[in-house]
Amino acid sequence: MSERATVVVPAYNEEAAIGPVIAELVASYPDVVVVDDGSTDATSQVARSAGATVLRHAINRGQGAALQTGITYALRRGAEFVVTFDSDGQHRPQDIERLLAPLRSGRADVALGSRFIGSTERMPRRRRVLLRVAVAFTRAASGARLTDAHNGLRAFSRRAASTIEIRLDRMAHASEIIDEIVRHRLRFEEVPVHVRYTEYSTRKGQRSLGAIRILKDYLIGKWLR
Amino acid sequence: MTALGLTSFQLLAFVVLGASFVVTIVLTVRHRIAPRVGFAWGLLWISAAVAIARPELTAIVAHFLGIDRGTDVVLYFAILGMFFGFFFVYLRLRRIETDLTRIVREVAIHGATEPHAARADSSASGEGRETSAE
Repeated sequence: MSERATVVVPAYNEEAAIGPVIAELVASYPDVVVVDDGSTDATSQVARSAGATVLRHAINRGQGAALQTGITYALRRGAEFVVTFDSDGQHRPQDIERLLAPLRSGRADVALGSRFIGSTERMPRRRRVLLRVAVAFTRAASGARLTDAHNGLRAFSRRAASTIEIRLDRMAHASEIIDEIVRHRLRFEEVPVHVRYTEYSTRKGQRSLGAIRILKDYLIGKWLR
Repeated sequence: MTALGLTSFQLLAFVVLGASFVVTIVLTVRHRIAPRVGFAWGLLWISAAVAIARPELTAIVAHFLGIDRGTDVVLYFAILGMFFGFFFVYLRLRRIETDLTRIVREVAIHGATEPHAARADSSASGEGRETSAE
C-alpha cells in the first residue's frame, strides 16, 4: 500500500452513526476526510474526535456538492486514490481494498461497488425495486451497463478523480458520476461489496418520491451541460 | 370616459407604465441597470403604452402575422415573453446555485481541521488546529 488513498465521507446530521464509522476507517486508512454538509448537530466534532479531517460546508449544499468538495481537497493534498464512502454505516471498510485492487493494477480508472453482485443485509424490498429501476434508467440514459447504479462506495484513480466534475449538488450526482465516467471514456469496473441496512439507515434513506426529484434534476442537468 | 378622452384603464395604465419608464431611465443612468437591458425594458413600457393608447394598432400587427384579433397577438406575445423570461431567470438561478456551492467549497477547504488525535508532526495541543489546503 505505497500510494495514498484518501477516503471521502460526506455527512449530514450524522452524529449518531459517524463516530464508529470513522474510527473503523482510520484504523486501515489514516487519510479520512469528512465533509460536513451544514449539519445542525455535532457531526463535525464527533468526526474530528474519531480521527477524521473535517471540512465543513457553511450551508447545506447536498451530497453531490459534499463529495466534490472532499474530492477536490483530497486531490489538492496529493492523493493517489480517492474513495467515496457513506457515513451511515451501510458500507464496510474491508471492501475498500477490493475496490482499490483494479486501480492499483492499472486495470481500471474507476471501481464501482455493487451490492447486487456482492451481498446485502436486510435490504427493504421497496429499496430493491427502486434500485433496479435506477439501474434500467442508467443503462438507457448513459449507456453504462451496471448492476448497481446508486452505490456510494466507489474508488477513483487520481486521473479519474481530477477528470470528473460533479455539478449536480443534490442526489442526482450518482447518475451524473456515471455519465461523467462514460463521457470521459474512463475504464470502470464493478466490484462486489456488502451493504448492510439497519433501521437507522433505512429511516434516513431515500423516500420513494425523492427518486422523482432526482430524475428531474439529472435530466435537466444533463440537458444543460 | 374620464377627462382627456381616456378610459379609466388607459389612465391607470399610463400612470403605471410612465412610472416604470421613469424608474428604468433613472436606474440605467445610475448604472444600476445595463444600457442594453434598460433599453429593452424601456421599449417594452413604450410598446405597452402605445398598444393601450391605440388598440387598433394591435389589429394591424395581428393581421400582418396572420392572427385574427389584436387582443390575441398581445396575449401570445405576453405569454411567450413570460415563458422566456421565467426560463432565463431559472437558468440564472441555477448559475447562482452553482456559484454558491463553489464559494462554500472554497471556504470549507480553507477551514479544514485536522483530527484531535495527536500526530507525530503536530505541535499544537488542545482543539484541532487549522491547516492550509495548499
